[in-house]
Amino acid sequence: MLHAEHVTKSYPNIKALDDLSLEVSDGAIFGFLGHNGAGKTTALSICSTLILPSSGRVTIQGMDVVKDNLKVRKILGYLPENVALYGELTVRENLRFLGRLSEVRKVDAAIDDALGLLGFSQWADRRVKTLSKGMRQRVGVAQAILHKPKILFLDEPTSGLDPEGTAEIRDILLRINAELGTTIFMNTHMLSEATRTCSDIGIINHGKLLLADTLKNIEKQYEDCKSLEEIYFRIGKGAAK
Amino acid sequence: MTGMKNIAGKEFRSSFRNMEFLLIVGVFLIMSIVSVYIGSTTKNAELKAYEDIVATATAAGTEIPAAPVIYPLAILKNLVEYIVMIGSVLAIFLGFDAFNGERRGGTLRLMLTKPVRRSSIILGKLSGAGLVVGLLLAATLIFNIVLFDFYTGVFPNNAEILRVVLFLLVAFVYMMDFYAGALYVSTKTRESSYGFLLMMVVWIFISFVIPQVAESQKSYAYAINNIAGTVTQVPEETVLSNAIGWLSPAVQFKSVGNDLLQAVDETATIGIGRLLAADLIKILYLIFPSVLLTILSAREVKKEAIL
Repeated sequence: MLHAEHVTKSYPNIKALDDLSLEVSDGAIFGFLGHNGAGKTTALSICSTLILPSSGRVTIQGMDVVKDNLKVRKILGYLPENVALYGELTVRENLRFLGRLSEVRKVDAAIDDALGLLGFSQWADRRVKTLSKGMRQRVGVAQAILHKPKILFLDEPTSGLDPEGTAEIRDILLRINAELGTTIFMNTHMLSEATRTCSDIGIINHGKLLLADTLKNIEKQYEDCKSLEEIYFRIGKGAAK
Repeated sequence: MTGMKNIAGKEFRSSFRNMEFLLIVGVFLIMSIVSVYIGSTTKNAELKAYEDIVATATAAGTEIPAAPVIYPLAILKNLVEYIVMIGSVLAIFLGFDAFNGERRGGTLRLMLTKPVRRSSIILGKLSGAGLVVGLLLAATLIFNIVLFDFYTGVFPNNAEILRVVLFLLVAFVYMMDFYAGALYVSTKTRESSYGFLLMMVVWIFISFVIPQVAESQKSYAYAINNIAGTVTQVPEETVLSNAIGWLSPAVQFKSVGNDLLQAVDETATIGIGRLLAADLIKILYLIFPSVLLTILSAREVKKEAIL
């Protein structure tokens, strides 16, 4: 589904990504782990066509994210860390606008489907500025899945949510993956959430990919570790040495 | 194209949910009504004064002076000033946060992950603002024709309606210059308040400072010799005054607007084709900033790095 080859992103004083190569398989829930500033958002921004890599190449379903960016955008959904919507518009108006930008044909039916899937239909006519962060996050997820994308990019989807909100988002993501068959690429630093949600894990540190594999393989490889957290710290320490 | 249409529709809807914007729209419409009222009372006063002169002349048995020529559309001429003063501010208000607001609010990130060309964002915003300004001017047109009929008891003829429609089209172009300017500043700055202030300074220069300097210069265009009782034109001063006037779209807009609204005797009765031909350079001059600033905004958005 997603294939990154030797991707580098440099800024004047910093190399945000350093020769990143990775593969995300079709139907996977890929959790991209790393501390703040590790390069997760940069990688996600390149994959979701928001910024250009300095070198290297990313393809999604064989399409280059730079050369075929408009085609790639038709098959990707994106949820930023802080969901940005138009506060003065209602949930439905926001979704209608973003759905039409995603070229959804029967946009109202798609909105009903998405809100139904998220259990959010009763809030459709509320102005977004009156919603809580958790509710906005759900609207954010709704806009990202309106066009039934093949791959969904999520940047810290549970950041700032209370435990209930976190659990709700987790359930929603699992349902989207199971019911729509959507591949999910998720940046997170919540390791417990990654364990519960993800089938595949990648760990990044200072722009370098330290590890990427299925969660099962990683657990097998580090069977002496009790949790993903322990594995994460061990790999992190290894990289520091 | 779809993206542009959707962005335009969203801009249109959002504008009419913004209280500050609605307030300026309200002021604009009230000023437009006041303008017709003031225009008609001024003309009525002129007619009343003439009637008094006729009565006095008749009583004294002296010659009755010729009746003043009153062009009906001239009662709308204050609209020109109101568009220069309020219409442009309204356009700035629509545009100063148009792009930076999306950037700051994070909605730009969302938009740019949709299959939308970056240039469509600028064109969509421009079209949305165009719809708002167009709707506002259409409302002004209807208001003014109704009020014109109400105050004068005369429904304007086709030629007069055509002149008003053309005037509002030129007003549209003029207002869109300010919108395009504000939009461009909005793509360049990450501080909307700074962008707004900058545009207000531009507005003051275009609407007041440059026209005032041109006007002051014009006063030197004629040398009055009180002893000989002659008035001599000083061509250099006229040229300089006109040249200064070309630095301000407001001066050119006022000139075209006054021609169309029969506020200038020389152009009040000429055919609309001849009038447009005479003012063509000025009209093109008014269109140019919008086109240039839109291209610059699109280029700026293309360069925009998102993270």
